[in-house]
Amino acid sequence: MGFTQVYDYVAGKLDWLAAGGPIEGTSAGRPRAGEVARGDVPTCGLDERLGEVQARVRAAGWDACVVVNQERVVLGLLRAKELAGDPASRIEAAMRPGPSTFRPHVPIAEMAHRMVDHDLENAPITTSDGRLVGLLRRTDALRTAHEPHQAEGDST
Amino acid sequence: MTRAAPVVGCAACGKAIDCCEFCDRPDCPTAICYHCLGVALSQATPELHDHGG
Amino acid sequence: MPREIDREGVRRLVDQGAQLVEVLPAHEYEEEHLPGAVNLPLRRLEEQAAEVLDRHRAVVVYCWDSA
Repeated sequence: MGFTQVYDYVAGKLDWLAAGGPIEGTSAGRPRAGEVARGDVPTCGLDERLGEVQARVRAAGWDACVVVNQERVVLGLLRAKELAGDPASRIEAAMRPGPSTFRPHVPIAEMAHRMVDHDLENAPITTSDGRLVGLLRRTDALRTAHEPHQAEGDST
Repeated sequence: MTRAAPVVGCAACGKAIDCCEFCDRPDCPTAICYHCLGVALSQATPELHDHGG
Repeated sequence: MPREIDREGVRRLVDQGAQLVEVLPAHEYEEEHLPGAVNLPLRRLEEQAAEVLDRHRAVVVYCWDSA
């Protein structure tokens, strides 16, 4: 074809979306999980004690905490049930390991609908390499899903 | 690591799974498997094309 | 033979003026595409590339994923 500099982005649009990259198109204005997830969710490490984390989570006004490593890769989750455990226990023992996580580009309407169907209070949103973007709360997902949004345009 | 024996069927495809991949519960009445969930949430290939990509 | 690049490679090349081409069908392109990308469905790529693209600039093609 006469083109000498041709590159193939092999991982494709899915990779771009999963990493939260900006997009254009008719669905660009629709809110997605990554925009609604709360990046200020408390986090903790495996070696901490539950008692310390309980106090920190309570002081921050939350009822959940995400367990991450130094690269902010999600390792586990502490929801209300786990946070009510023995304060002396280590996080590694108290947490719910390997929770289901979801990508930033997932439409918020879809997440809201499923979180209601499955009675899920919150869900970790991560990049395709497992790094925490934030915790999506069902209340936030439902509120955003029912808000009018721009039908077409850019999303950055 | 030993996986638990399958206890529930995927509501979309019927495959036996040990817990719902959306909410992690083994007793979820609307349990869904990893593949069906991925397709539903547009995390997997939405449809195959002639060239497969 | 196109050279394979990753996401950072795409960003770098676009900053340097590369042209982005999505080869998926039109309805998928319309729904969402990388900023600035043009749509040349695969079956029309050879026929239309020369008229739509600048052969003096790098071209980055992409699809849905690596499947």
